[in-house]
Amino acid sequence: MTVLIFTRFTKMRNLMNIDNFGTVRGLLNIIQRSDVISKSYSTDAIQQIISDKPDKFSERKINKAMKVYLERSREYKQFMEKQIAEYNIGKRHLAKIMGEDPDNFTEADIDRAITYLFPSGLYDKQAKPMMIDPTKMYETRKEAEFDEAGRPHHFLFYTLNPNYYEVLHEIVGSLNRLDKIEDQMLAKKIQPSSQDKLDIVESQWIGKPELEKILGEEIKDKDFEYFIKSMDRLIQHPVSKHAESFIMKFRKKLLFINQHLVVPKPEYDSDNRPFILVEKCARKNARGQVKVIGNGSGKITINGQDITSFNDIQCREQSLRSQSRDNAYKKLDSSSVLIESSDRTTGS
Amino acid sequence: MFIGRKFNSLILSSLRCNLENSFQFYSVFPPNYIKPIYKKDEQEALYQEETELKQFSHSPVQPAKTNNTCSEFHDELIRKFTNYIMRKGDKKMARKILDETFENIKIKKLNEYYNTPPEYRENIILDPKVIFYQAVENCTPVLELQKISRGGIAYQVPIPMNENRAQFLSMNWIIRTAQNKGNAEKLSDVLAKEIIDAAKNQGRVIKKKYDLHKQCEANRAYAHYRWL
Amino acid sequence: MMSYTYSLFSRMCLRNGRRTIITAATKDVPDTNIPWFRISESNPAELDENCLTRIYTIPSDITASLMSNMTLELRKQTEVFRELGILVRRPSVEIISYLEQTDFTKSINKYILYGIQGAGKTTSLLQLIHYGIVKRYFVLHLPWVQTWFRYPRDAVVSPLEPDKIDLPESATKWLKYIKEINKVALSQLDLKTTKEYTWSQREITKSGESLSNLIEFGIQRNKFACGVINALVDELKMASTAAKCRTLVIIDGFNAFTSSITHVKDENHAYVPPERISITSTFLSSVDYNWCNGAAILTVDKKANKDRKDSDYPTYLLGKKGFELLDPFLPICVENYSLDEFKTILEYYKDRKWIKNISDKGQRELELLSNKNPYQLWALCKPLY
Repeated sequence: MTVLIFTRFTKMRNLMNIDNFGTVRGLLNIIQRSDVISKSYSTDAIQQIISDKPDKFSERKINKAMKVYLERSREYKQFMEKQIAEYNIGKRHLAKIMGEDPDNFTEADIDRAITYLFPSGLYDKQAKPMMIDPTKMYETRKEAEFDEAGRPHHFLFYTLNPNYYEVLHEIVGSLNRLDKIEDQMLAKKIQPSSQDKLDIVESQWIGKPELEKILGEEIKDKDFEYFIKSMDRLIQHPVSKHAESFIMKFRKKLLFINQHLVVPKPEYDSDNRPFILVEKCARKNARGQVKVIGNGSGKITINGQDITSFNDIQCREQSLRSQSRDNAYKKLDSSSVLIESSDRTTGS
Repeated sequence: MFIGRKFNSLILSSLRCNLENSFQFYSVFPPNYIKPIYKKDEQEALYQEETELKQFSHSPVQPAKTNNTCSEFHDELIRKFTNYIMRKGDKKMARKILDETFENIKIKKLNEYYNTPPEYRENIILDPKVIFYQAVENCTPVLELQKISRGGIAYQVPIPMNENRAQFLSMNWIIRTAQNKGNAEKLSDVLAKEIIDAAKNQGRVIKKKYDLHKQCEANRAYAHYRWL
Repeated sequence: MMSYTYSLFSRMCLRNGRRTIITAATKDVPDTNIPWFRISESNPAELDENCLTRIYTIPSDITASLMSNMTLELRKQTEVFRELGILVRRPSVEIISYLEQTDFTKSINKYILYGIQGAGKTTSLLQLIHYGIVKRYFVLHLPWVQTWFRYPRDAVVSPLEPDKIDLPESATKWLKYIKEINKVALSQLDLKTTKEYTWSQREITKSGESLSNLIEFGIQRNKFACGVINALVDELKMASTAAKCRTLVIIDGFNAFTSSITHVKDENHAYVPPERISITSTFLSSVDYNWCNGAAILTVDKKANKDRKDSDYPTYLLGKKGFELLDPFLPICVENYSLDEFKTILEYYKDRKWIKNISDKGQRELELLSNKNPYQLWALCKPLY
């Protein structure tokens, strides 16, 4: 039986290990949160305290909510272990069925094997049979965020989004540090130049889902907006380069366009003129091929005829586009052939 | 503005209608795809500025449209005009009408040139492109009337316009007035007349613009309804 | 317009005259007031190989009479440019040189101009008409046969030949045109009819009447216009053979006469072949070999017949019958502009204020877009400045 006592005097409170919240809760019908620890006590507890027994912590009774939480977490761990074990064994079985090496059976191999063994006509990928690593399939639950005494590990636990607010905290910290650095520079009469500012042209802010993944918790749209605004503020600081490592965690690098550009190599024909033949050129339903020959004089052939086979000026202008840089007009020949077309469009 | 844009790239089209600050996209490409630069002088200018160049080398580019070429005969405004003339996707016919219109402008202007005494000949502009630009500029309205209903009554309130919309209206008016003249003459002939008149600040399109401005002036009293 | 071109022309002549007087002692200095792409010489007989790729102007009075029967685009160009300037090109210069060298006692020579659409066949013919007029030939110029066969509004049964169809109004118009361009020849050469022609019970043209009266009669009496044309051609052939005059037959789109079908409908609303139209036989006989002291210059074009659209070559377009009729003939190809001719034309347009600011790159682009085809180039330059 629990008895709720309300007392104002702190000494008595500490002695008797009373928390006032209990009474308030009772009066106001407050619902208890599972991750908040309430210190309600029983007459047995009072006896214990008054009798001044040592070693309170070891015999301290764990509250029900705490108990449920620990149970759940233990169950989850067991469940995951079982699933992972099953998955690994299943993987080896699958490898054997497919006749491949069980040790080197990768996830791509698994996917292929499953689509082969269980062909499905369903459109939704999520509805098809799948065999995925349990850690990826089931949501990871966070580890116990508080120790046995009920004290949370993270100093911002009570914000309910501790990692998010930690990042914001870090931003402010960085700003302060950068201010200090700037002051030092100004003291030495050095003006911060553009070198000290972070170059953001080659990267882009990460999106909300990616941020959620990094932080491991859900955040609201408004919070995300605020985060971006704050980070922008940080970037605009004159010496932002000193906080680069922090900022770049939340930026993804953009591709340089020419990185993956594949320039086709010209082949040489019988007259030793370089040429490039592009097959399967498409425009609407028409298919054709284009051959561009170097060391020429700007001659254009279309289906064996000259450019006037196009009645439309626009089509002619387009076929000139390949030659429209500077002197290319004079140096390249091009010939194109329409292979097939299902309607009236001209294969320009 | 930037944040609104960011959101629309994250949140898919299903949510677009629910957002208050949503931007309506008509493009197949997401907003981070930049418009292509196909004119040679613009490309040269790009190489001068390093930051611009860096931005362009790191963003994906939309493919160029088929009626955009880097030839010196290509002009953005004129291509837009052909698109406004076009009906049912018949670009060929629209281009043909435009070419005939410009030809007619040249012929009319040349006749005018030969008919004036030699001292005044230098003032006559023979270039149809220049005339067209002048005509469009002369016809662009500044304000337009919008129906705003307050207390159950719809008032015509004068409001300022976007530059793009003003230009569109000017070109559209020219085409519509030419079309409204009926089927007796060819569209290219009528259009040529309209454009030449508009460049001289005469004609039906200019009258239309002045009428609109007069109406706006008359409804000046309701201007505050825009915010009320 | 006419006065302006006339005064320009006279100014050019005067300038020329003055120069030659001043520089009489020294050799002939080229006139620097006239731009490099032009020639002041307007007598086509004098235009030879040295004058190639340059533009010569046809005098305005001749231009006025030719205007009604030019191609639409050329007519537009003449009106806008206030003059008719034609590029001197190889085909016409070649034919003129042949005409100068022919032995006119032998049976007539036939020249056939052929080429792709828009290459400049009709325009070359204009230079030859001008030559004919200057040399006081009797020029029988049939502008574009297909206009008669394609848009007939006045097909009636011929009163003179009951099983054939007449086109009276077109014939009258053409007679007027012939009178116009040959007024010099008609007034100076004394041409008379050799036979008597009975048109109806009351209308008779006696022998010994002048040809201009015959033509007048044809103009006044629509009904017999086609008959008059027939008579005229016969008379001219006889007159030429008798060395009284020299006839130049110039027909544009001759293969319309030798095609297998036309757009002309008879009473049964069926399309008739050219043989059933009265004028066809007239003109087929005009290019026959049974007369001398003349020449026939014809063009063949894909557009001139309803069928046979595959190739531009004369043998194909004329068909078996036409080939047999015309064989032997001299085929002359009219090609697209060469690079020099192309540059000349662009300079000419610039001079006439038709285009202005085209850079080298733009010029090259025009060259490629039009493939140096004269008609395509004109079409491309229309909206440009």
